[in-house]
Amino acid sequence: MRISCRDRLKLLGGVGVLAGLQASGVLSSIDVIGKAFAEDAKKTLRVTIVPEPPILNAAFNTAIMVQQISTKMLDGLLAYDKNFEPLPALATEWKVAGDGLSIQFKLRPNVKWHDGSPFTSADVKYSIEEILKKHHPRGRATFANVSTVETPDPLTAIIKFSKPSPYVMAALSASESPILPKHLYEGNDPPANKFNNAPIGTGPYKFVEWQRGSYITLARNPDYWVKGKPAVESLIVRFIPDAGARAVAFETGELDVGGTDPINLADLERIKTLPNLAVTTEGYAMCGAMYYFEFNMRDPQFKDVRVRQAIAHAINRDFVAKNVWFGYGSAATGPISQKLAKFYTADVPKYPYDKKKAEALLDAAGYPRKAGGVRFKITHDPSTYSEQYRRFAEYFKQAMRMIGIEVDLQNSDAATFQRRIWTENVYQTASYGIFNMPDPTIGVQRMYWSKNIRKGVPYSNGSGYSSPEMDALLEAGQNEIDVAKRREIFNKMQVLAMTDLSIIPIINVDYTTVYNKRVKGLTEDLEGVFGTFANIALA
Amino acid sequence: MIARSSFIQRYFQSRTGVIGLIILTLIIVMAIFGPTLYPVDPWDMVSRPLQWPSFGAEAPLGSDVLGRDVLSGLINGARVSLIIGISATAAAVAIGVTVGAVAGYFRGLTDDALMRITEVFQTIPNFLFVIVLVAVFRPSVFTISAAIAVVSWPAVARLVRGEFLSLRQRAFVESCVTIGMSTPRIIFTQILPNCIAPVIVTSSIMIATAILVEAGLSFLGLGDPNVMSWGAMIGFGRQSLRTSWYLTLIPGVAIQLTVLSISFVGEALNDSLNPRL
Repeated sequence: MRISCRDRLKLLGGVGVLAGLQASGVLSSIDVIGKAFAEDAKKTLRVTIVPEPPILNAAFNTAIMVQQISTKMLDGLLAYDKNFEPLPALATEWKVAGDGLSIQFKLRPNVKWHDGSPFTSADVKYSIEEILKKHHPRGRATFANVSTVETPDPLTAIIKFSKPSPYVMAALSASESPILPKHLYEGNDPPANKFNNAPIGTGPYKFVEWQRGSYITLARNPDYWVKGKPAVESLIVRFIPDAGARAVAFETGELDVGGTDPINLADLERIKTLPNLAVTTEGYAMCGAMYYFEFNMRDPQFKDVRVRQAIAHAINRDFVAKNVWFGYGSAATGPISQKLAKFYTADVPKYPYDKKKAEALLDAAGYPRKAGGVRFKITHDPSTYSEQYRRFAEYFKQAMRMIGIEVDLQNSDAATFQRRIWTENVYQTASYGIFNMPDPTIGVQRMYWSKNIRKGVPYSNGSGYSSPEMDALLEAGQNEIDVAKRREIFNKMQVLAMTDLSIIPIINVDYTTVYNKRVKGLTEDLEGVFGTFANIALA
Repeated sequence: MIARSSFIQRYFQSRTGVIGLIILTLIIVMAIFGPTLYPVDPWDMVSRPLQWPSFGAEAPLGSDVLGRDVLSGLINGARVSLIIGISATAAAVAIGVTVGAVAGYFRGLTDDALMRITEVFQTIPNFLFVIVLVAVFRPSVFTISAAIAVVSWPAVARLVRGEFLSLRQRAFVESCVTIGMSTPRIIFTQILPNCIAPVIVTSSIMIATAILVEAGLSFLGLGDPNVMSWGAMIGFGRQSLRTSWYLTLIPGVAIQLTVLSISFVGEALNDSLNPRL
């Protein structure tokens, strides 16, 4: 064989690339994956998380990808069944006092941290008082009324409140409020603690390795507090930036589980027809993901409620669910997600798709069609995170044209979008995805409460909507401990929100999880990919 | 006159040049008259979403995820692509020729200063620079054209400067100076016409590049959200690449044909304007 000069160059290049790959860790990741294949495939669960999390501890960052990895290592006090009723986790018993001013927890005995130290009530006290109340993005609001956590003995913790705070019982899962080891966090700066990137928890999996940009490996925790679990020996989380490449990895059996839309929605129909793969929308009830359309209530254009109603009547939410979200969502009727069955009510003012009515409302409000059929012009800022959001904006522009409103779309990056909506309030209308969370006080109040009109805080009350009646309802809902009365308060709140219409809820978003059918037990967990994966088995 | 007819003859000797010219003319005709002959709004949701190309009456080239007509997008996108390609290039050539001519004619300190500025622009990767400019200012057809012009003028400036440096020494220029002709007159009526051939060739390639840059921006979602362009169409279709690949293929072929035909024309122009090569 003759080797030309050019071939030699190529060879040289190849050697260089090989060395580069080895240095960068790409090759070693292939090694790990290769080894995992060689080992008993039944014992290795291969997961993908989109995108790669910046940190592995959900106490400091509540982004959905962080919650997916944190929960495998760090436990919460409680878990929840599919009706959102609490289940034992680190706490085995709990008792809410009659006046709602304290909750007593009996803790699970003989639980050990991954480094062998015993888990006690001191860890709970430290986590709630020092971590969750001070550093957790939502915890500052959730635990605002916590005055102290009493620890009469190592296996008892009593949370004391200054005001009744019934919603706290909904916020104690591993994904929302992880319990951290006091002995590793005390005395240094918690958000900068090195264990945030290599967590020591009490959960079913132990941290092994994080090769940034490539993979994370976790191993079975043999001392996990449920004997014999988990059944999975090792868990590998791979980061594949491209949705097309992820689809291929699922098809070839290299990935077992991926949550929060790992594959383009448009591609799912094809994936569903493959014999070894399945698609589910279960496991996202806790998020209560929705898509909101918001008016800037400071804008004189929207002072008249009939203008807001007209726009609501002109948006065909079923069309959006079917074509923009490819059916992975349903038309929303109110500000609370239908998945939050405890609080959701369908009995609110409705705005069915009706162009004629929309036009009549605009005529009545004093905006007749002028030259060229245009009534007035508005701008619209869609959120930037997903293709679906942009498609919705394009749909909205066309839908408004049909009733004589000219829409100028504003494309921007995420930072500009947040600045325009929540810092400078310079927009006219906006749309964005939002999580209701398991309780409306945590996830919905922030969008309607006039005391939450806070400049520079994303996903606060950006519309500037301010109603004393609404404030009174929200504040009553915050402190009401009677379940039925609380439900009634939130029913009224939903009616009022849909009457005043500062926000038009568009879609209940169904996130999708793609998984290989050899994975068992994934959909039994309320939290799906946000769950602990302790009960997952591989066939 | 002799020179001009021989230039046209030389041009038509190039087979690719002729093919390029025919395709380009068709695209230009489509951009100018298409929207009148096929008056369907490219954003209107006219048919069932994701309808395959049927070549029938309704949505002959199929429809996208929202039921928008692909043919209408193709026609209106041609207009956007050509407007951006031509206006960005015109602006870039205007800046580049001015800077290059001044630097090449006056030389010395002026030349040094202008060339250092040019180098600053040349060291920043073009596409990234365009993204930054478009992100800072709101994306619109105007800002995108301006951003592309801002990144593409240095090539013209360097080219014109080189030509000026050599032509400046020639006897005919010296004689113009001797008879007291004003500097602007020498630059614009004497030297510039003699170096316009390479500028024409470069700018034809620049139009093609500008069209590609615009397509890239729109594909990334940084285009003007209020106009339909080919890049944006590919962006819309990308999600359904595995199932409805025609959404990506059709505008992709349109971009390719346009860029290819402009390149062919540019090459043929180069051959016919510089017969020595």
